[in-house]
This record gives sequence, structure tokens and C-alpha cells, in this order.
Amino acid sequence: MAMSHKARILAAAHRQAVDKLPFGARIDVWYNYHCAHGTLPEKYEGWNMVDILRDQGAGVQVRHMRIWKLEYDNLEVVTREDPPYTITEWRTPVGAVSLKTVFRPEEGSWIVYEVDHPFKSKEDYPVIEYIFQNTRVVPDLSEYQQKEKMVGEDGIVITGMDMYSPMQQIMRYWLGYERFFYELHDHPVQVGQLYELQKEVAKKKLEILGESSVEIPMLCANWSDEFHTPVFAKYFSPWLREASDYLHSKGKVTQVHSDGEMRRLIPLFLETGVDVAEAWTPMPMTSVTTGELRKAWGDKVTVWGGIPAVLFEPQYTDQEFDTYVIDLFKQIAPGYNFIIGMGDNLPFDGRIERVGRIVELIDKYGSMPMKL
Amino acid sequence: MIDYSALKKAVIDGDDERTAQLVKEAIEQHADPADIVTLGLQAGLVTVGEKFSSGEFFIPEMLLAARTVTRSLDIIRPLVSDSDMITAGKVVIGTVVGDLHDIGKNLVGMLLGGVGFDVLDLGTDVYPKRFVTAVMEHKPDILGMSALITTTMPAMEATIQALESANIRRQVKVIVGGAPVTQHFADQIGADGYCSNGGSAIELCNRLVGR
Repeated sequence: MAMSHKARILAAAHRQAVDKLPFGARIDVWYNYHCAHGTLPEKYEGWNMVDILRDQGAGVQVRHMRIWKLEYDNLEVVTREDPPYTITEWRTPVGAVSLKTVFRPEEGSWIVYEVDHPFKSKEDYPVIEYIFQNTRVVPDLSEYQQKEKMVGEDGIVITGMDMYSPMQQIMRYWLGYERFFYELHDHPVQVGQLYELQKEVAKKKLEILGESSVEIPMLCANWSDEFHTPVFAKYFSPWLREASDYLHSKGKVTQVHSDGEMRRLIPLFLETGVDVAEAWTPMPMTSVTTGELRKAWGDKVTVWGGIPAVLFEPQYTDQEFDTYVIDLFKQIAPGYNFIIGMGDNLPFDGRIERVGRIVELIDKYGSMPMKL
Repeated sequence: MIDYSALKKAVIDGDDERTAQLVKEAIEQHADPADIVTLGLQAGLVTVGEKFSSGEFFIPEMLLAARTVTRSLDIIRPLVSDSDMITAGKVVIGTVVGDLHDIGKNLVGMLLGGVGFDVLDLGTDVYPKRFVTAVMEHKPDILGMSALITTTMPAMEATIQALESANIRRQVKVIVGGAPVTQHFADQIGADGYCSNGGSAIELCNRLVGR
């Protein structure tokens, strides 16, 4: 009996044998965009995303941001709308900070974008420290479990997306990338204090993941080597190792979202203990080929991805698409420890039928061990 | 004769206090402000760009170096008239409509400003019409567009078409960049140049203005 999509993905993530090359497709940018614009193909009007992927024959990848909610003691959180922005203000006894976000599903997005980060000046350090010290992480699994039920054996619900390593959480969410690097240079002690406090918050999230039914917790990433390499070994790697070790002790394997330029992070990645590099995005969207990556990592890391988003766009012909996918198969043959997927999504102008085409090519070439 | 190698090194190190100190010392020694800028500050920043392109440096080093030069230029600017400030060319930059990502664009702006380009940053979420208006008004040598998400890349082509419709396409060189943007895409939409990273933007813009 053939393995289910879910069984294949999980087996590959655990570096176990599979009958056929697994495929976990992600199409939410395409889906959200066309839903917002009323431009889904006629056949798929009124369909949900999971059923579209089922119709294409692909394994399903569904996102769910988190299985917890943050609650605060001894401070007030006030949210107000200032269209198109949402302003969130944390009012504490030692001062206030505010975050400005915008949500644009019409652009295909499924998460908010931080337009203006809470940290504005060094006077905000005690306020953010206070917020971290008074943060409670409370399990909130019901929506995740509903999605899990909806996807069933046809794929995986990926969650844990705000599980950034604590320093990346500070960098991305609280300070913003540019300001973070200036602050790390100008005020390293204060940034270090935020890091230690944020680590305590992250540990509480980890415990919830550890006790949950989530099979491959996402420890997130969105790395680009030009940004993150200088801080990777000192701040990211030790945390990822600690998180992976803990989750391994709970019988889970871990993944990160590696859709950026990874060249100089590839050797550092092996120190993290992370099992799966999801959303792997090779040339031409980054400088690294999948063959190079496999050579560097061998069978130590399972790779999920391999087909860059642009390949789904009309600028590439059907023939070019087929050639790319078959060449990818050749680079990864015999195919173990690999899950085919997008790097990192089906773009809004991508061709949905190419998802089905991948399924056909896997049916033709993807039986294990692959011989190409 | 002033030795600018120490100033250049301070820029490369991203050491703004040392850079400011050396700039002030050079001014006290009656150095030509233009020399301080070109032989010290800009030379340092060009080296930083080269080290970034070769993979030796990362974005944090570029940010710190660019900030160092920006702060030092603030010391020099009051000492010279506008006509004495050597301008490499004028560049208008922006992130295309629908896209709010700005780190790459900001970095390119800082680097180009640091090496002597007059940079006008239109910000993020910029409609083609606004790019066209800016080209008409400011007559830049180069128009730079950035996009980080695939959804917004078509706005680059729409902007080039808008420039053509306004009969000003030939007046300006168009360059594009951003994570999902490739040379293939740049060629396809008729851009004049593509940058895979901020460091290479200096080299590309210098080449496009014949510097």
C-alpha cells in the first residue's frame, strides 16, 4: 500500500525510507491573492486551498502561525486601527512603546508586516525589558487542531512561525533589522539583556510545542546570509541546538524556513541540530544549486523545497519548467532525505497546473531509489 | 600632505567616532574638503562595497560604514558651498507599489549617497506614476526600483512602460534589484541594469554614469 503524503513527509523529515519522492506544496500567496481579487480559475471558484492542492494531486502544506497566545501582567496593551495600519501600544509603568503593522491579503500575504517597530530610541530599553519580564505564554491549540483535522493524511500543518531564535525575534520584530545592527554596535549590553529576557519567553513557547501534537515544529528563519551570518554562530546556533535537543527529547524533529540566500550559512547550519531546511530556494533566486547543498550537507539534513517560485511564472516555458524539475531530480537522486516543495510559495502569477505537473513528474521518475 | 589611509580605514571599520575625529583633524590641517570626501570617506566606502560583493563583508559592516560616512559628511557640508560638493550623478530610488520592504533600498541609498550620488528616496509602495513624476521633476541619471516579493515585481515593468508612455524612458537608466529579481527578469522587462546586492549597486551606478 502506498504511503500517504503525510507519512512520506514525516518519514523523510525523520530521515527514514519512503516509497516515492514526497511533495508538500505551498500555494497560499497565490490563493490569497486570487481570493482577494476574485480571480481564482473558474474551476476553483469557492474552493478552499487544501482541496485545490488535493485536486492537483500534491501533498498539502498549510501554515498556522502559533499554538499559543501572549498575555501580559502589570501592563496594558491597546490596539487601534488607523487604516490601513494597526497600532499596538504597550503601556507599562516604565513607559510605552508602539508597533505599527499593515496586513495586505490582496498582495497574497498571510501575515502582518511591521512598518514601524516598537524600539525607537535607547530610552525604550527598560520598557521592552519590562514587557518581556511580564509576558505569559498560554497554549492556544484549537485552531491548529481544526486545520490538522482538515488536512488529515494529505499533508502537514506547519506551525511555530513566531518561534524565531530570541535574538532574531528582537532583530526582526522589536528593533527592526537596520536599527538592530546599529544598537548591537552602540549598546551591546542592553541588546544582550533583551536577548536573555526574550530567551525565557521562547522557552515557554518551546514547552508548549514539546507537549503538543505538532510533528515538525517550525523554529522559523527567513535568513539571508548577508544579514545573519555575523550573528549566527553567537546567537542563533546555540539557541537552535538547545531547542532542537529539547524537541528531539519529545520525539519530534525540527525545521526552519530557509528561503533566503544561504551560501555562507550552509556550513554553520550543521551546528544547529535542526532536521529539516524547509522552503529551500536554489538558483536562480539564490546563488546556490541544490546539488551544492546536498554535497555540503550529505544526509545530515532533510531538504524541503528545491523549486524556486519564479519557475512557476509565465516567464518560464512549460519545457523550461520540466527541464528544471528533472534536473533537480538528477541532483538529488537517489532522492532520500528530500521533500519537493516551493521556494517558498506559488507566486500570484504562477501557474497552478505546474503543481500538478510536478506530481506527474514524480509519478514518472520519483519511485525510490530514484534512478536518473 | 595628508595621509588619508587612516580615514579610509576608519570608514571600513565603521568607526564613526574615529572617522569624525580624523575628518576634524584634516579640516584643521586645511585639507581640501573634496579630498577628504573622495580620498578618505568615499574611498573607504568603495572598499566596503567591494568587500561586500566579494563576500568578505556582510550587511552590518556596510550599514555601519555608510552611517559613518553620512555622519562625517554632515561635518563637512557646512564648510563647502553646494557647487563644491562633487556629485557623481542623481539617483531616484524607491520600492515599488504593493511592497513595503525597504532594507535593501535604504542600504543602496546610503551607499550611493556615501560615494557621491545625489539620492532622492521616494520610500516604499511607490506607484509607477510617482516614479514618472519624479523622473520628470528631478531628471535623475538613474532610476532604481526595489521589490522583495514576487507579487510586486510586475510593477517594475509597469513603471518602465509608464516611462515609455511619457516619452522619458531614454532620459534615464533604470536599474532593478531585490531578492526575487534576477538578471533574467531585468532583461525581460527592459531594465538597463540589475544589482544582486547593495555593494554591486555602487559599481553598476558608477558604470552607468560613466564614472
